[in-house]
Amino acid sequence: MKRLLSIALGILTAIGGFVDIGDIVANAEAGARFGIAHAWVLLVGVVGICAYAEMSGRVSAVSGRPVFDLVRERLGPRVALANLGGSLLVTVLTLGAEIGGVGLALQLATSVSYLLWVPLVAFVLWVVLWRAKFTVLENVFGLTGLALVVFVIAFFRLGVSPAELWHPGPPPGEDWGTYWFFAVALFASALTPYEVFFFSSGAVEERWSRKDLLTSRVNVFVGFPLGGLLAFALMLTSAAVFQPLGASVDTLSQAAMPAAIAFGKIGMAVAILGFFAATFGAAMETALSTGYTVAQYLGWNWGKLRRPREAARFHTVVIIGILVGVAVLFTTIDPIQLTEYTLLFSAVALPLTYLPILVVANDRGYLGDRANGRFANVLGVTYLIVVVLAAVAAVPLMIITRMGGG
Amino acid sequence: MLIGFDLLDRQIVDRDAEPVGKVDDVELEYDERGDAYVTGLLAGQQALGERIGGRLGRWISAVARRMSEPPDQPPIRIGYDLVAEVTSAVSLSVARELLPDPPLEGWLATHLIGRIPGAGDA
Repeated sequence: MKRLLSIALGILTAIGGFVDIGDIVANAEAGARFGIAHAWVLLVGVVGICAYAEMSGRVSAVSGRPVFDLVRERLGPRVALANLGGSLLVTVLTLGAEIGGVGLALQLATSVSYLLWVPLVAFVLWVVLWRAKFTVLENVFGLTGLALVVFVIAFFRLGVSPAELWHPGPPPGEDWGTYWFFAVALFASALTPYEVFFFSSGAVEERWSRKDLLTSRVNVFVGFPLGGLLAFALMLTSAAVFQPLGASVDTLSQAAMPAAIAFGKIGMAVAILGFFAATFGAAMETALSTGYTVAQYLGWNWGKLRRPREAARFHTVVIIGILVGVAVLFTTIDPIQLTEYTLLFSAVALPLTYLPILVVANDRGYLGDRANGRFANVLGVTYLIVVVLAAVAAVPLMIITRMGGG
Repeated sequence: MLIGFDLLDRQIVDRDAEPVGKVDDVELEYDERGDAYVTGLLAGQQALGERIGGRLGRWISAVARRMSEPPDQPPIRIGYDLVAEVTSAVSLSVARELLPDPPLEGWLATHLIGRIPGAGDA
């Protein structure tokens, strides 16, 4: 059991990246419209986030410095401030979307409108972040999020062969523009900047040191592929159920349908539990990341290891982040659409986050004999190029396809 | 040591590895031969704003100066003789309590965060 709990950080981080509210619906929608034509994007995303999370975990374990410390040191105050601005927009908008997502999961269970749940969810989120220990957060929400495994089992129950769902590129009725829009959206969400902020800060919160390098690697190489697998299961089951019908998916309740068809009410209940835990976990990840990035840019005390009184500025930033997220939701913007817009700001934040990680991971002043080998560098440079290409392509694709509307 | 590469923008930690601030700027003096040497580290948003420059930098600096207690204090200075070691962080030889308090932290701890139940529990 202890072994299982020691990888909770990786699992929780990955859930926030791969199966948060926007991704649950995006994967189901991609599955319904394109079959599993986007499966390769998830694979490419998993390898990329593994490469960079491994580097950031290694730097944090050996030097005790989380990612935004590196951003500030290597890029200087001005460029790092631009990154901070972009990252904060991504993170806070996503935080708002996740709070709405928890509300949507509760709406599925209770039929009470999600907007009425939002203030309660935001308050509970804050209480949990104020009171609960970091390890409790990870264990409870990381592991409950694994309820989404129901979609993996549902696939076998549905008994469809993946070969029937695969075709190279867009099926009749869809075009290449929307195909690539979904590809970029799924890729960017796999490599969201708050994943490395959260993972590396979590490593510091758990007091990882040089001797925890193995734990760090196991977290990365189990957690992120598992997140990718859950995302793939959502895509696969949605393709199996909806593609033959020619139906489209744009709500959370539709995304839960494959589990309900395979296992009836129990399947529906487990799917809702999984959605709830995954979105709440992603809300915690983004709320804490808001505080982590600001505090690390400015050199403040931060983290849940300290009493709130001793990290007053950090806790204030987290509270402001939650309030701004709630305010955004109260404009009645669709929480699921909201995460799609964060793509725009990821374009600034992603390259400026991953470049300093790659540079410092090669710095023997930080890492000594644990600096990057050739393999990590080849992967790192390749993905940096892919990230820049995706960032450049994101905005034109959003405009051409009207946010994937086709 | 290169000031820009090895010192500026690094995290400053105290004797017990607790965060103190960032090296937002450095204070230089010249010896009789005209060589520059570092005499102190400047920490806090006031020094940071001046280094960022431009309208945004001036604004950050002005807000920080206004919030200092009493107002219009110079930025927090840490003498270079207190620096024990420069690695991935700048470690000081003293405890944080002996250094000037960052103004915003103290104000928020007293007026906002400290008033919420549970603020003193780890």
